[in-house]
Amino acid sequence: MRALQSSGGMSESIQDLRDGLRHVWLGYRQHQFIYLAGVGLPLLVFIAFVGIPILYTVYLSLFNWDGIGIQKTFIGLQNYQTLIVDPSFLLSLKNTTIWTLLTLLVPVSMGFLLAIFLTSAQVYMRGTIRSLLFLPTTMSLVTVGIMFSLILNPIFGAMNIVLRNMGLGFLQRDWLSDTSINLYTLIFTYAWLWVGFPLTMFFAGIRQISAELYETAQIEGANVFQTTRFVTIPLLRPVFTAVMVIAVINSVKAFDLVFTMTRGGPYGRTSVLGYYMYLQAFLSYRYGYGAAISVIILIISSVFAYVYLRHIAGESLHGAD
Amino acid sequence: MAPISNTLKLGRFRLNLLGIIYFVIAITILIIWLYPLFLTLSTSLKTEIEILQSPLALPKRPSFDAFFKTWELLGFGSLLKNSLIIASGSVFIGMVLSSIPAYAFSRYQIPGGDVIFILLLTGMMLPQQTVIIPLHEILRRLGLLDNLFGLMIVHAAYGMPFNMLVMRGFMANIPKELESAARVDGCSDFGVYRHIILPLTLPAFAVAGTLNFINIWNEFFFAIILLNSQSNYPVTVGMITIQQSRYFSAWNTPAAALIMAQLPTILLYLLAHRYITQGILAGAVKG
Repeated sequence: MRALQSSGGMSESIQDLRDGLRHVWLGYRQHQFIYLAGVGLPLLVFIAFVGIPILYTVYLSLFNWDGIGIQKTFIGLQNYQTLIVDPSFLLSLKNTTIWTLLTLLVPVSMGFLLAIFLTSAQVYMRGTIRSLLFLPTTMSLVTVGIMFSLILNPIFGAMNIVLRNMGLGFLQRDWLSDTSINLYTLIFTYAWLWVGFPLTMFFAGIRQISAELYETAQIEGANVFQTTRFVTIPLLRPVFTAVMVIAVINSVKAFDLVFTMTRGGPYGRTSVLGYYMYLQAFLSYRYGYGAAISVIILIISSVFAYVYLRHIAGESLHGAD
Repeated sequence: MAPISNTLKLGRFRLNLLGIIYFVIAITILIIWLYPLFLTLSTSLKTEIEILQSPLALPKRPSFDAFFKTWELLGFGSLLKNSLIIASGSVFIGMVLSSIPAYAFSRYQIPGGDVIFILLLTGMMLPQQTVIIPLHEILRRLGLLDNLFGLMIVHAAYGMPFNMLVMRGFMANIPKELESAARVDGCSDFGVYRHIILPLTLPAFAVAGTLNFINIWNEFFFAIILLNSQSNYPVTVGMITIQQSRYFSAWNTPAAALIMAQLPTILLYLLAHRYITQGILAGAVKG
C-alpha cells in the first residue's frame, strides 16, 4: 500500500520496499519462533498442497497426457476447444448450474424459513429441534446416497410404497432412472442432508440480533412478515452471503451423490462438473482433459471464494476482534 | 414474535394453545425429516422375510443378524479401523500444524499478515477437484499413493485452515494481560505459547477436532482416488464395494452397513453437538 501511495518516483518506492523488508527482517529476528512455525510453516503447506497443485493443474490442462507414460504432448488450448463442443461437458455444466440454483433455492430458503419459524414462534425445545435437524448434515454423502438409493428403489423402495399407501400412487416414479427427474432426485437428496447447515447459520444469526430491535418493531405494530423483512433479513445479510457462497462451492464440487446414486447415468444425464472431471481423468485416463475441467471448476469457485473471503476479511480481521 | 398472552409458565416454557400448535408443527417436520434414517435403522433390525411382508412396519422382534452378517462377510472391522486411523491421524497432524499459526495470526503484527491469512483460507474453499490430479501424481512419486499416511497428510493439510480459523477465534478472547504478565516474568514467544496460550485453547482443539474428525470420516473424493487396495479402504469407499456386492440384494444387510458406517459420527454428534455447532459457526467456510 505504501509503495502505491508514494508519488515520488522510483527511488522513493525502492526506499519503501527496503524499509518494508527491513521491517520483516527485524520482526523475524525478534520473533523467530513465531515467524518460522507460525507463518513459514503454514505458507509452506499452502504452497505444497494448494499453490503448486493448482499451477500444475493449469499447466497440465495444456497437455495431452494419459497419466501413465512420461511423455506429455503440448497441445495449447486444444483441451479447452474440445471442451466447448463436448456435449457431455456442456450437459455437465448445465446440470451443475441447475444443481447450484436449486441448492440456493431449496435448502437455503427452507433453512431460513425454519429458522424464522423456530425463533419467532418461540417453539418449545427449538434448540434441540434445530440440533436434530442438523444430524443429516453430519452424515457422509456416500451413506446418504446409498440410503436414498434403497428408499427410492422403484420396486422395493419405501418412497413408492408410502405414496401408494397414501393413495398417491400416480406419483410413483423410477426416481433414479427416469431422465426427466433423476437430476432433481439427486439435488433433493442433497437438500435433505444439507438443510441443517443454513438452518444452523440463520438460527445463530437471528439469536445475535438484539431483542430490543424486535421489541421496538413489535411496539411499532409490525407483524412477523414485516419484522422479518425489515429487521431480520437486512441484519442477516452477512450470513446470507456466507451460506450462499458455500452453497455454490459445494454445488460446483458435487461428486459423492452422483457417484453413489447414478454414476452420472443413465447416458450421462446426471453428470455434473465434479463428476465429469473424475470420469475423464481417473476412469478414462485423459489427465490433460480432466485438468481442463478442473480449471473451469477452479475459475467458478475462486470467483465465489473471493467474494466470501473478502467478506470474512472485513468481518473478522477488522471488525469483531 | 407473536405476542403471547394468558400463558401458563411451566418451567422455562410458556404453555399456551398457540405454543402447542407450533410445537406440534415443528415436531412433525422433524419426524418427517428424520424418517429415512429411522426407516433404515428399523430395516436393519428386521429379517428378510419381514421386510418383504411389511416393508414399513417396525421389527416385530429386533434381530441383529444383519449386523453380524455384514460385519463378517464384508470385512467391516477393517473398514472402520481404517476410517478411525485416517480420521484421528489426520486430526492430530492437522492440530499440530495449526495451533502455532493461529497464535501467530491472532497476536502478532506480521507484515502482510491479513493477506497471508486470507490466502491460507482459500485452501479450504477450493474444491478438491482443482488439486487432485497433481496430488495424485505427487503422492505416487513419493510412494505414498494407496497409503494411509499419505491420505492423512493430505487431510491434515486441507484441514489446517479451518483449524486455524477456529483456534484464532478462541485466542482472540484470551486477555492480553495474561501474556504481558508472562513476558514481564521473562517468558519467550514459545514460552508464552506453551504455558499460556496452549492450555487455554484446549477447548478450541476439541471444537475444531470434532468437526474435522467427522468431515474426514465422511470424506470420499480423496479416499477413492488416493487409495487403491481393499485393505486400505475407509468405510466410505468400502460402502461402494458393498453396494456392488451380491449382499445388496437383501435390504437388511445394506441398512445394517449404513448404520454401522455412520454410527460413530452420529454418536459423536449427539455427545458433542455443542462443539460441532460452535465449530460450524466459527469456521463457516466449510459446509
